[in-house]
Amino acid sequence: MRNQRSVKQEFLRKWITGLRRYSCDEKKNMSFLERKKAIKLSADIAMASTRDKTTRWSQALIANASSSGDTLTGSSKNNSSRSRKKMLMMRRRRPKVKSAKKEMSASCIAKRLAEKRTRKLKNLLPGGESIDEGCLVEETLDYIESLRAQIEVMRYLVTASQLIINPYP
Amino acid sequence: MEQATGVLRGSTHDDVVLESIQFNEEIRGIMAPAPAPENASSFTALLELPPTQAVELLHSPDCPAAAREPPCHVSTNQKPYLLCSYGGNLTFPSNAALIERAAKFSVFAGENSPPEDAARLAPVAVSGVVKNEPQETDSNPSSTQGCVSDPAVDTKNQKTAKRKEREKKGKGSSKKSKSVADECSGDGEKLPYVHVRVRRGQATDSHSLAERARREKINARMKLLQELVPGCNKISGTALVLDEIINHVQSLQRQVEFLSMKLAAVNPRIDFSLDSLLATDGSSVMDSNLTSMASPVMWPENLANGNRQHFQQQWQFDAFHQPLWGREEANHNFMTPEHSLLSYDSSANSASLQSNQLKMEL
Repeated sequence: MRNQRSVKQEFLRKWITGLRRYSCDEKKNMSFLERKKAIKLSADIAMASTRDKTTRWSQALIANASSSGDTLTGSSKNNSSRSRKKMLMMRRRRPKVKSAKKEMSASCIAKRLAEKRTRKLKNLLPGGESIDEGCLVEETLDYIESLRAQIEVMRYLVTASQLIINPYP
Repeated sequence: MEQATGVLRGSTHDDVVLESIQFNEEIRGIMAPAPAPENASSFTALLELPPTQAVELLHSPDCPAAAREPPCHVSTNQKPYLLCSYGGNLTFPSNAALIERAAKFSVFAGENSPPEDAARLAPVAVSGVVKNEPQETDSNPSSTQGCVSDPAVDTKNQKTAKRKEREKKGKGSSKKSKSVADECSGDGEKLPYVHVRVRRGQATDSHSLAERARREKINARMKLLQELVPGCNKISGTALVLDEIINHVQSLQRQVEFLSMKLAAVNPRIDFSLDSLLATDGSSVMDSNLTSMASPVMWPENLANGNRQHFQQQWQFDAFHQPLWGREEANHNFMTPEHSLLSYDSSANSASLQSNQLKMEL
């Protein structure tokens, strides 16, 4: 069990560090969309780094972020390039899905439905393309947990900053 | 609730039931109240703990602690007890399956073990379940069904019941065991083999065994996912459950987007208010403060703030929340506004006081 409180604190700290780096780098005023992207990106990276790259989705998240030329990733770039190579290799080695004959048995239909959904889930998960089924469920579990923690921290920040900006009369 | 009372009355293993209820009580007394979504995360502990704990617990002899406390009302929220540190005060019943389950519950006492153990533990845990559940005598299907009301074990119970039915149909109740259950070896972090009990009439070559072990591991994790995602418990069938999971993940991702947009809208600059937020590195930042702060903030803001745009934003925010978010949201949005509003009005509403409160809560 991960200690939720410490995870959230760690996430908050890393996120704020990332945001600070953003504002230090660019002195000009960023547009709304840019800011939103920056906030989301730093939040995602902070969340992924709380997992210390023990999960695949976190590695993939950081790798994607660094590939888009973001300045925040910094030291994690070295690790991410290695992990990306690993993922590319795994993608090549991924077993081909056999094209099934059109059997109308119930189990085949059920299997096909499940396949469709697992594919959809894989698309949702960052770096989930080249995961086998067993790890997929684990990663999803982890990802959902982290997303929840992230959302709570962000909500907290939103309400806190609203309080600060609009103090009550 | 009915399950629990049925447990108290109908079970043949009264001492076991008392034990488990008392266990709950102890643990609830020790545990700080944890919000509902966190309880679901405790199931990931299933994947993260070494089997040594289970082994230790199987071995530790304990004095009977029965009837020390009166059997109490078992709440439906069973999961907090999984998080408690185990005090070592249980008597283990003679029933092997219940030993297994009790060990599983108290196995969660350990924390922060590396997730690499997950891969190792899961086949062990699953195989352990596979092993021990068939040991239950056929005369106690009802007691095992109703005995523990934890949903994880319930699903395992159902698995057992289904397996038993299948076996009784054509194959008799005797099973060919592939290997002796060797959990009581008592040492080492990694069991060398995955011991799987093979049902009569099924293939025993290594491929299908490995395949079946893999299948069972995946099914166990799917059940955990089902518990994590709200509303998946009642759905049966993989495709629908997967649908729910996909919806949940999508909604979580959308929430992140929305919240980051809101943050960007609120702050003219990125690091605008961060300094005050980081005034202290307080340890009690998040949990209760979050919910307690959120409700008094949102409600008075609607009234005190004459800003129309802000108002609409707020209501959109709330409306967005209600359909997407779980029950905890609905609770604190509806229940607390009235008395929080009152208490808020009564306290001084100066800006300095609020920022002080903010810092304190941080």
